[in-house]
Amino acid sequence: MARITAGVASSHIPALGVASDFDKTAEPYWAPAFAGYEWTKRWEAEQKPDVVILVYNDHASAFDMKIIPTFAIGCGESYRPADEGWGPRAVPVVEGHPDLAWHIAQSLIIDEFDMTIINEMDVDHGLTVPLSMMFGKPEAWPCKVIPLAVNVVTYPPPSGNRCWALGEAIARAVASYGEDLNVQVWGTGGMSHQLQGPRAGLINAAWDNDFLDGLVGDSDRLRHIPHIEYLRETGSEGIEMVMWLIMRGAMGKATRVLHRHYHVPASNTAVGHIVLEPV
Amino acid sequence: MTRVTDIHAYLADFDDIPGTRVFTAKRAREGYHLNQFAMSLMKAENRERWKADERAYLDGWAMTEEQKQAVLARDYNRLLDLGGNIYFLAKLFSTDGLSFLQAVSTMSGMSLDEYAAMMIAGGRSAEGQRSIKEGR
Repeated sequence: MARITAGVASSHIPALGVASDFDKTAEPYWAPAFAGYEWTKRWEAEQKPDVVILVYNDHASAFDMKIIPTFAIGCGESYRPADEGWGPRAVPVVEGHPDLAWHIAQSLIIDEFDMTIINEMDVDHGLTVPLSMMFGKPEAWPCKVIPLAVNVVTYPPPSGNRCWALGEAIARAVASYGEDLNVQVWGTGGMSHQLQGPRAGLINAAWDNDFLDGLVGDSDRLRHIPHIEYLRETGSEGIEMVMWLIMRGAMGKATRVLHRHYHVPASNTAVGHIVLEPV
Repeated sequence: MTRVTDIHAYLADFDDIPGTRVFTAKRAREGYHLNQFAMSLMKAENRERWKADERAYLDGWAMTEEQKQAVLARDYNRLLDLGGNIYFLAKLFSTDGLSFLQAVSTMSGMSLDEYAAMMIAGGRSAEGQRSIKEGR
């Protein structure tokens, strides 16, 4: 049977991708942000996950204003890095796992989550930056990836509670897949950031760290945070943190923390990263 | 459970956040063609046509004159007011060769150096930035 063995959360700041791609990670500005991922790179190399279910948001790359799916799952064979306006990142093509992805898609729909199914798309920094942070710069990504895209751009995004429940349903779907696979669920985006308007640059380290605390153990208090609180406390783009709750929901009742990292700033954003295992 | 039961109150709260334009359906509708224009700059051949004659390129889109002027002026706060979304507008400033940090600083009322220094010092405090009505 397929097993969810761990959950990873990470910011997916595009500038981290640029720093990785152009070998700037040792520069004084970037070094502290990247240092917090060294533990995880070693750990991932030992864990060797077969599949990562990677929860992220598309930033007007695969989806424009024509179609706005709330929850969408990638069931394709592979996904190319998107050209976001400066040419595609020079990172490997992302290999999917269509059989498990279709199994999850079917299971979720039967479980009353009305998923959008994607067979072809390009993937932007939201998906490829976390791969770079966790795996560095390999010739090919060391695992299959199932993209799970969440709308957090056009309001209203899904509630934190709904995200958590989707994570629980993903866990049920993975557990009913016959093949023995080591599966991780990653939640990406956040933490505090506001990329717009006169309030740009807002960072709330105390709130972010309380959110990190809330992911650990058997509390489910984070699922009840309303959208307005993310917006007021962590900036307009802090809403991305609802995607971390899909990962947390997939961990089950309780979690143990294996690794944690927080650094300000990377570009406009607070870098947050945590590695959890289900208890 | 903090289930939203009043959509009007849910939306009204967004206008109470200082210096912020939440990308609501109202803004998404107003900015539809502006955002789709920006999206078109993801293709290298479109970027070439855009760079060759910005005004002519804009005239191929069903945008308001106000939106076109704000694009030509790269007035990002104005573009947000006119329904632009930052992830779409990112295609425009990326085509100009600007990073998110550079582009975002232009909306903050600070110079790039001041803005970058504020970020290195820990960012803008949430104190006094949470609610207009409550002044907190």
